Amino acid sequence: MKNSETITVDELAVEQNSNGGSPLVVETRGLKKTYFGKIDVPVLHGLDIKIYAHEFVAIIGQSGSGKSTLLNILGALDVPTGGTVLINGTDISTLDEDELATLRSDDVGFIFQSHYLLNEFTCLENALMPVTIRHGEADEEQTDRVLRLLERVGLSDQINKHPDEMSGGQNQRCAIVRSLANSPKIILADEPTGNLDSRSGEEVFSMMREMNRESGVAFVMITHDDRLAQAADRILLIEDGNIFEISKEAHRERVAK
Amino acid sequence: MKSFFNIFISALVPKKLRFEFQLALRHLLSGGWQTILTISAVAAGVIIVIFITSLIFGLQEMMSDLLTESIPHVVVQVEDPKPKTLTNTENPTSSRIEEQASQLKFIDNWEQVVRTIRGLPNVRGVSPVVSGQGFASKGANPVGVSVVGAEPELLDVITPITKDLTSGKYRGLGSDEIVIDAELAKDLNTQVGERIRLTSSSGQSDSFTIAGIYSRGQGRGSAYVTLRNGQSLFGFGTSVNVIYVKVYNIYDVENLSNTIMALTPYEAKPWTIDFSRFLVNMQMMGASAYLISIFSLIASAFAIASVLVVSVLQKSSQIGILKSMGARQRQILTVFIFEGLGVAIMGSSLGAVIGMMIVHFIGLLERPDSTGTGASNAMFPVRILPLYIGLAILAAIITTVIAAVLPARQAAKLNPVDVMR
Repeated sequence: MKNSETITVDELAVEQNSNGGSPLVVETRGLKKTYFGKIDVPVLHGLDIKIYAHEFVAIIGQSGSGKSTLLNILGALDVPTGGTVLINGTDISTLDEDELATLRSDDVGFIFQSHYLLNEFTCLENALMPVTIRHGEADEEQTDRVLRLLERVGLSDQINKHPDEMSGGQNQRCAIVRSLANSPKIILADEPTGNLDSRSGEEVFSMMREMNRESGVAFVMITHDDRLAQAADRILLIEDGNIFEISKEAHRERVAK
Repeated sequence: MKSFFNIFISALVPKKLRFEFQLALRHLLSGGWQTILTISAVAAGVIIVIFITSLIFGLQEMMSDLLTESIPHVVVQVEDPKPKTLTNTENPTSSRIEEQASQLKFIDNWEQVVRTIRGLPNVRGVSPVVSGQGFASKGANPVGVSVVGAEPELLDVITPITKDLTSGKYRGLGSDEIVIDAELAKDLNTQVGERIRLTSSSGQSDSFTIAGIYSRGQGRGSAYVTLRNGQSLFGFGTSVNVIYVKVYNIYDVENLSNTIMALTPYEAKPWTIDFSRFLVNMQMMGASAYLISIFSLIASAFAIASVLVVSVLQKSSQIGILKSMGARQRQILTVFIFEGLGVAIMGSSLGAVIGMMIVHFIGLLERPDSTGTGASNAMFPVRILPLYIGLAILAAIITTVIAAVLPARQAAKLNPVDVMR
């Protein structure tokens, strides 16, 4: 999967050094995205982003500003119309359909606003789904690991229940475990608390934060909840197709306005 | 602890395909009415195929049996000499070619010919026969009749007479006894136990006691005497003029005829020569059965495809999330192919069972006996044909899987970003 665009070990070391030793997980260089149609709609105007392991990054911005588009591109679900996206050092534009699927399976986890758990499967089976897709069947070690994660998020007594038998918060916690099942390098969360009440939303966020601290997996979370954004390590603001990193102080001031 | 499904899947499905198989199985199990509808569509197709083939091929078999059971399947006789054109072309005397009048020709070495034919495959029975025309009379009114002289035990296998007897006997026919058909008995106003006189076309005459009267409901039939009496009546000595052959497979008589002609100096005429139009009609019936079967399978394939297309649309967000988790196009395609295969196997099995039950029960229906012989009169002459049931299942599975390919490809190509937006 590696290619000419892949950064070398030396380059990676430089990137690690620039963020206190954590390796660079995702990088975009001049990332552009335009939706072509009767009227072409440019959404992203050349973004340069770096996401490191162990980081928890919040992306904020108004509806329609391109946050979800950016997240889909970072997760290799969508393709940019310009620029480069490197995931774990690999330029995704050089990958074919199968290689992209493997990359999504091994390196990326998704959490959506809806949990998107499969109703035909139990909580445990849903949480193991990425492993099942990748390997056909989860082995004992993988199952134990996911069971521990489910226990960690308080779902050990729900493992045999189907999504329609669990609450929204429980389903979203199951979706968090699912996103971690293949031990990805980065988890991309698109308003993961958007459909939850404030208490369940806080619970889910706390768990994501704990997973981030415990496993070192990088989180990029789109949120409209200013309190959650404040709890992230970094805040990225998308505005008029451009991205800005803003300090928590600046963010608080924006909120106050 | 592993669930029943997991144990089942682990035992039957290669690890590489377990995700696809498991998802397809869960889709079917959770599909409710949608699954029942698609399975029913396949089952309906298979039921129609089984019913139509059982009915048409059953009818075909019945008609063939009716036609051929009372006739010899191959008639071996001395070939009529073919008239030839004159070789003297310089001074032709006539351009007209005239067939020679039919004559009784002897097969002297019939014992050897019969032994040879009995040793051939597909031969069920062989009977040497003396056959000719004559007159039957009781008192002053002679009535024309076809006379057949043969050993009753041998001829009864080839042109069954005993089963059509309305009174008396045929097997164990005595040297001065005769079996006649009901129409002749009516014309001569006679009955079993009375005597009639038989005069052959060669002029010999003898009187016989009527041992039995039969009825086939097919116009006037022959009068049957023993072989010895037939030889005496027609002045054949110890010869015969025809040998009747009965076969097991009535549609494979040409080969047997050719073999007989190769092994003996006689002409062997299969029944199919005189009934070529009947054979064409039978083939048309068979072709109709195939056409109806094909169209019903196509109709059920369209029904299945449309239900699966809807299923794909309903599951588009699920397909999106699976792709976001790393599912490949091939995996999604396989899931829906497996679904089609599952529907096909369950639908065709169900259809086969129901189809066979319908055919069985329809076969039990009887219409009132109009012949008065007490014979079984099935209202529908259906036959359960295992070969066609197997073919119907196979065809249903193939068409259903083909029908599943289009929606499966549609599912595999879905863009996760589009369907999860």
